[in-house]
Formats: sequence, C-alpha cells, structure tokens
Amino acid sequence: MKQASTPLPFAPVAWTITAFVVAALPHLLAMPPLLGAVVVLLCGWRLLAAGKGWRPPPGWLRLLLTVGAIALLAVGFGGLWGRRAATGLLCLMLAAKMLELYRLRDLRMVASVSLFLIATQFLFDERLVYLAYLFGGVLITIGALLRIQLLELGQAVPRSGHLRIIRDAALMLLTALPVALILFVTFPRLAEPLWGLPDEVMDAKTGLSDSMSPGSIADLYIDDSAAFRAEFDGTPPPPERRYWRGPVLWHFDGDTWERAFLASRTPAAKVPPGPDDFLYTVQLEPHERRWLFALDYPVTTPDEAHISLDFQVTRRDPVTTLTEYRMRSNPGFTDMPQLPETLRRLALSLPEDRNPRTREMARQLRERFEDDRALIDHVLDWLREEPFYYSLQTAPLGRHGADEFLFDLRTGYCEYYASAFAVLMRAAGIPTRVVTGYQGGYWQEGGQYLLVRQSDAHAWVELWLAGSGWTRVDPTAAVSPARIQSGARVATGDATGLDWLRSLQYRYDRLQHLWNAWVLGFDADRQQSMMRFLGLPRLSSTGMALLMVSLLGLTILVLAWAWLKRPAGSRDPVQRAWIRLMRRMGRRGLGPVLGETPLAWAERVAPELAEGEKLHELTERYCRIRYGDCDDAGLREHFIEQSRKLSTDRVEPRRMASV
Amino acid sequence: MATATGSPVETGRPKLLDRWLKRRTRLDLPLTLAYRRIFILPTRFGWMLGLLMGAMLIGSLNFNNNLGLLTTFIVAATAINSMLLAFRNLNGLHLRHGAARPVHAGKPVPWRLTAVNHCERNRDGLRLKGPGPDAVFNVPARGVREVTIELDARGRGWHRPGRLRIETTQPLGLFRAWSWIEPTTPFLVWPQPAEHAPPLPEGGDAQSVQRRQAREEGEDFHSLRRWREGDPLHRIAWKASQRHQTLLSRQFRREQSREVFLSLERAPGRDLEERIRIVTAWILRAEAENRSWTLELGEERFGPDRSESHKHACMRALAEL
Repeated sequence: MKQASTPLPFAPVAWTITAFVVAALPHLLAMPPLLGAVVVLLCGWRLLAAGKGWRPPPGWLRLLLTVGAIALLAVGFGGLWGRRAATGLLCLMLAAKMLELYRLRDLRMVASVSLFLIATQFLFDERLVYLAYLFGGVLITIGALLRIQLLELGQAVPRSGHLRIIRDAALMLLTALPVALILFVTFPRLAEPLWGLPDEVMDAKTGLSDSMSPGSIADLYIDDSAAFRAEFDGTPPPPERRYWRGPVLWHFDGDTWERAFLASRTPAAKVPPGPDDFLYTVQLEPHERRWLFALDYPVTTPDEAHISLDFQVTRRDPVTTLTEYRMRSNPGFTDMPQLPETLRRLALSLPEDRNPRTREMARQLRERFEDDRALIDHVLDWLREEPFYYSLQTAPLGRHGADEFLFDLRTGYCEYYASAFAVLMRAAGIPTRVVTGYQGGYWQEGGQYLLVRQSDAHAWVELWLAGSGWTRVDPTAAVSPARIQSGARVATGDATGLDWLRSLQYRYDRLQHLWNAWVLGFDADRQQSMMRFLGLPRLSSTGMALLMVSLLGLTILVLAWAWLKRPAGSRDPVQRAWIRLMRRMGRRGLGPVLGETPLAWAERVAPELAEGEKLHELTERYCRIRYGDCDDAGLREHFIEQSRKLSTDRVEPRRMASV
Repeated sequence: MATATGSPVETGRPKLLDRWLKRRTRLDLPLTLAYRRIFILPTRFGWMLGLLMGAMLIGSLNFNNNLGLLTTFIVAATAINSMLLAFRNLNGLHLRHGAARPVHAGKPVPWRLTAVNHCERNRDGLRLKGPGPDAVFNVPARGVREVTIELDARGRGWHRPGRLRIETTQPLGLFRAWSWIEPTTPFLVWPQPAEHAPPLPEGGDAQSVQRRQAREEGEDFHSLRRWREGDPLHRIAWKASQRHQTLLSRQFRREQSREVFLSLERAPGRDLEERIRIVTAWILRAEAENRSWTLELGEERFGPDRSESHKHACMRALAEL
C-alpha cells in the first residue's frame, strides 16, 4: 500500500475524479449552484495538486473546509432534509475527501462510492436517457478501478494506455451484461417495501401545484416532458372529453386559488359502474405529490389511494417513482345532486374588496337572467364574441385580477380564463370551484397509448347547477376550441415548422413508453406474467430465487468455459506443424524434455530415428523460420510438408544387421 | 551431514489447514496451477464494495427502483467477472525452479522462480509473496519470466523456501486468487563470516610449505599495460610496443607466495559456530588476496586451490557441518 509520503501520480487521480464527476453530474445540476461550484472546485484543485505534486493541506484547513461545506449545504437546502439533500451531502463529503486523497485505498473508495451515486440518481429520474448515464458512469468507474490496479502493481503504463483501459472496461461491462440481465429478470422483488419514504418535504419538481394564481407560472405550459401515459381498454375518449382531474380548488383570496381542507378530507360518494365506463391504465411519471390523475368520475381506486369529496384521487405516499395504476371512470355520473349548505358557502365566498367591475357585471347579468344556465351561456357567448385571445405570452395581473383580465388585458391562457370566469360566476351567485389537471393528450397510434405532457396542463371550472349537480364548464374552450381539440401548442400557433422534430419526439416517447413498461415497471406481477409467457409455472419467491441461482450458475459456467478453456493452438502454421511433430515423437517416447531446445533435442533423438538426417535438417529449418528473419512462404510450406512426412520409426539395429 | 532444516516461512499456521492443503494437492515444484490449487476470496476492497452493493440492493428493492437494481446487478456481474478473470490469470501458469546462487547467512537469500505462460494472452499483475518484499511480475503470452524474491536465512546449511504464495488481484482488485507452493528442493546458505576475524594464519604444515617454495620462482604473465615511469626496462614488451606504436610493459601477477592452511580445529573461537564463522572469513580473505588455501575439516581436506569451485566446495562443507 502506498504511503501518504509518496504522492499519487496524475493519471489514476484523474481517472478517479472523472468517474466521480460523471457520476455526480446530475446531482450537481440539481444542487444549489453554490454547492455544485464547491464540489467542482474541490475536484479541480485536486487535479491541479496531482499535476503539480502539491502536498495535502494541513488538517485544520481540511476540517474547516469540510465544516464550511456542510454549513453551506444546510443553508443551501434551507434545512429541508430530503433525498436531494442526502445525496448532496454524499457528493460534498466525497468532494471533501479530495482534500485527503493521498492513498490508493482512498481512490478506490471514491470510485466505488461513485457507483453508489449513480444508483441513487435513479431515485429522482429513471427516464430512458439515463441509461446512457448508467453505462457511461459505470464504464468510467471500471476504467478508474483498472487504472488504480495498475498503480497498485506499480507498473508504468504506456502513453496510449487510456484508450486500452477504456477498451478493457467496455469489454468487462459487455461481458457483465448477461449475468446482470438474468439477475434483473429473476431477482425476487419485494411486494411490500421494507420501510416507507419518510414523510419529507419533497424537492421542487415541475408539474401541477396544489394552488393556482394566474400568471405565476407559464413554464409548465411550454414543458414538453411527459406527465403520464394512459392505455385504454377499447377506444380512448375523444379529445373534448379528456379532462384529467387533478387538485380541485375552492378557496380564493383575490390572488390565489387553493384547496379546501374540508372538501379534500371528506370521502366521496360511491360512484356506481355505468355502461359507458372508461377502463384504463395510467403510468404516472413521478411528480413528488400525492395526487393521481383520473377521468371523471373514478369508480374504483388503486390500492392505497382514496377519493375525496371533490373527486380528487390521492395517495398516502408521494409519487416518487414511475407509478402504474388501473382506473375505471363513469362519465355519466351526477356529482352531488344536493349541495350541502357548508359547501355552498365555500363555493360562493369571494373577497369583498376585490374586482368591483366584475361584481358589477355579475349583478347586471343576474338582473337580466333568472336562470343559471342562460346566464352561463350568455357569458360564454360573450367570451367568444369579444376579442379574447389565447396566448402564453401575457402580462401579470394586479390587485383586481379578474377586472383587469376581463375588461383590459383579454389575452391569456387557461388559468386566466378559469380564474376570471370563476370570480364572475361566484359574484353572480353560482357555486363555483376551479379544477386543475391535464386536458387532451397525444394519441400514439404506433404504441396505442395516450401521451399527456406537462404542456397539456389545464384549468377549468365546475359550477353547481340544480338538477345536474357539479357541471364542468371550460371558458378556455369558448375562447379557443383549438386548445381543447389539439393542445396548447396548436392553439398558440407554435406548431409551425419542425414537424419532423416533433415526430421524432413522439417516436422517442414510444421507446420511453416501452422502457417504462418493461424496465421501470418490471415488478413481481410482470415477473410472473413473463414466466407465464415462457410457459413456466407460477413460482413462489423461493422458486424464483432457485431459478435465478440455477440460471446464474449456468451463465457463469458458460462464461467460465469460454474464458478458461485450454488455450487454442498457435496461429502460426509452422509452429502448429512443429507441435504436431513433437506430439508424434512424444507418442514414441522421443519427445523433448522440459527446457530442451529444438536443436539439442534433434541432436539427442536423431541417432535413434530411421530418418535422423532429415530430422536434423528439419529442425535447422524450423529454427531459421522461427527465430531467424526468414519469411519465405515457399520455405515455410516446404517445412510444413516435410514435417508431416517425417517418419517416426526408430532405427532397428537387429534387422539392419541381418540385411 | 546434509541436514535439511526447514525454515518455515509462515510459522504458527494451524496444522489442520496444512494437512488439508497437502492432501488436496502437491505443492512441490515444478507444477502447473490449476483449479485444485487456486483459491480465491474477496480482497478488503472487494468486501467493501460488496457491502456497498448490499446497500444499493436493499435500497433499490425497497423503493422498487428498477434502474437502481440494474446498476447494482451490473456492478455485481462485473465483480463476478473479475473473479473469473483473477482465476484465469493463474490458471495454467507453469512454475519451476530458477537457478539459485548461495549466499552467506545473515543476508537475505535471493530465490528464483521461473514462470512459464503457455497461453496466447499475457498474464499481468502476478505477485510472488515470501517473507520479504513481494515481487510483482508479468508473463507475456507464450513467454517465460524469472522472478526473484528474498528469503530469510537465519543460519547456515540447507534450507527449504517454505510455503510461498503466488497471487493476483487482477483486473479490478476485488478478488485475490492465490496458490500455495512449497518447493522441496533445498537451497544452501553459507556460514556467516566473522566480522572481526584474526589475521590469516601464516605458515602451515610442512607439505604445504614445500609446495609453496617450489612455486616461488614462477611468475605468471598476466597482461600488457601502457608503460609508466618507474617500470623496469626488462618488463617492456618491445615487440608488442612496436606493433602498437607506444611503450607497453608486461604485467605479472605475482603468485601469492604464501599459501594458507586453514584448520577448523585450530581456529580460535569459543564454540564451533564461532570457529566456522572465522574460517569462513579467512576463506573470503584468502580469496580476496588471491592466495590459495587448504581447508582441513577433521579428516577431510580441501585444496590447496584458489578457484571458485574450491571456494564453493569449502563453503558447502562448512555449511553442512
């Protein structure tokens, strides 16, 4: 083991640090920038130190820097102890290790913890692109370990050594794949987690939030990443019925819509199954929140989820990994034929001192229309006929948001319309709530699933009407029917050009879908269905483990056989011919003894052979071809032929005497 | 009197393991490493990575994180591969004795091993472990390498190298594959020369003195060298000087006039060991002064002579006492 007194050479340190940085890269990007900068700086310093042969810094400085870094971490994550903070701490500790990276085993430690970092990244994101990260990271780490091994042996590596190391590492990785895949497919999966996620404050993630204030976030609507994918039994619903229900918002303080404690904690009425029910499976991308998305109105809930009074489907634990759930929705259900008084009050409350013009308009409308439905139709017509525009490029709203939007700005997207419309309706005395979720989605013909992206996020309004209960009204649809039929991108006129790019994106998403289904969603159920597909009986987890062990044993045997089989003969035909001759002689008891040179052997054996002279000649020729610089093809062929012809008959003195 | 005093390289090894090893396989050279002789266990780093993989496995299983599992399994499969590769690195390697040169007791003894690789691939990162520092070596494809390690030699006489280890942690340092070898061919350790030996005993017995006088006149011509001031005229090699266009004078190596007679019995010293050491020192001194010597050990006599083989015979006789 190297002592701290001999500084480590540059190359192994550089390999190790590269492995670490590659493994930590996604973590670094998710960290507060200052922390990421500290990690990169420490790595850079260590590289420089390795290049220039600097000594390790004194102990007190190391301690000071480490404590400082941890303090930074505590401040950077604002005291929120989540998984990001935990992996951030791991990155920071490894970076602090750079300050005392002066022994061989430290290098190995950093390299192997890099593997751990790679695995932890998948707690946050498991998309297909991360497969490249997995293989790249593991490849470089194996390379680093190979390079460290050379250091331990104390061998000088030729200059072109790095390429060779990459090649060797790639070969190791490739040959590891069969065993890894067998393990992956057959390793028994846990049906129940051993421990749950701590009820931690989740890291910020794009996606819907549980509140809505118009104009605060437009980022979501230009985010093309997938929110979820849905597969339908039978035909999917038409675009105008694809309203995926998310958080339902009741409270409005003049700026922000929020959920109501009462409504979200009370269980919903039981929805009976109907004749036109949609049956579908949703693969939900992790969004760090508890709610699931469903079409109206969910009949059954997945395990561990409950439906609230306003038909939000909520899970006990946040969705932190790709989650698949099965749903059944009955679109013909009437939600709440009778509205309880508490809910009515909740659905009518408005801050008194806001939006005077909207209130005035509502009062006038109320005077003109007795009937709620006529009033609503009138307002929708008004929205349609007045110059309202659907656009993501719009201005923020001030104190009287609904007033500013309805009478001045008149340009905005769903949140603007839903909020202003809801204010108007509440002012007119119609119980109103805002529903956020996703609307629409892209039907993937090739993959037979509906792709719903973040940009499909939507907000609409539900009004309580006597007779039909809570009824969905979408003011955005009145302004921009294209939004509902074709999505936000078409509606905002952003769909020009780059069609090929978009179709490429959709193709890629189909791959991603397969990936989700077969790799990420591979669980105990899929394992069993795969066994059925292969015609194997249903196995208990013990049976699965046995299958795994036997398959593994078999693969390792095959690998061992391929690697450990006796060395193949020489590639040189002359050498092969020579070895054949040796063998023939050996069978006669005339083979060379260990360490005997060809010439010495010929000297010893020739007198016993009938064709001793020829053996001498042949041996000399062999030595000339093999050890000389003779490269004449004719000579070589002649040698091979002669060696084949040479007789191994011994001299028989008695017969010779008799002749 | 050749006593093979085995110097156990690793003392205190449980007898049970010893017996098992011996029953399992022959450890003597020459041998070819094969599966019965090769043992394999994780290194400390291997255990550490194993622990880390365990943590990765449990974490990924718990969160049903398939990509995390895949990472774990790829690492595990790589580890399994590296185990096979470590084994392969030793498997089929042929080992035999190298030439050994005797040395004096008290110094480390260089002991040589010859490794022959019959395969078409290199065997890198092999390590021969003895009591001293390890020897790291590579054997190229279809190549032969000689490795030298230093053994402790505590006393004179015949020793066996004891149990040695040939090992490798290739390619990742996760697993250590090793084989024991226990060569039975002994090596000779000459006695240690005394540090402050008395001067060579001058004179000797009558016979040797006579022989000495007979040789007194003889001067052996040794070589030519450039003439220096002070060289007598009769030393100048005129013919050669003419050929080389410069003055050359003949060099004579003067036969050391006095032979020495060394007798173990008559050597000073408190005990046998000390006397042996003193006689050893005398032999070395006689050799250094280029004098011939006779060694008397009880009934046996060696010499007189001053050749290398004479020295070896004397040293061996002393070592074997």
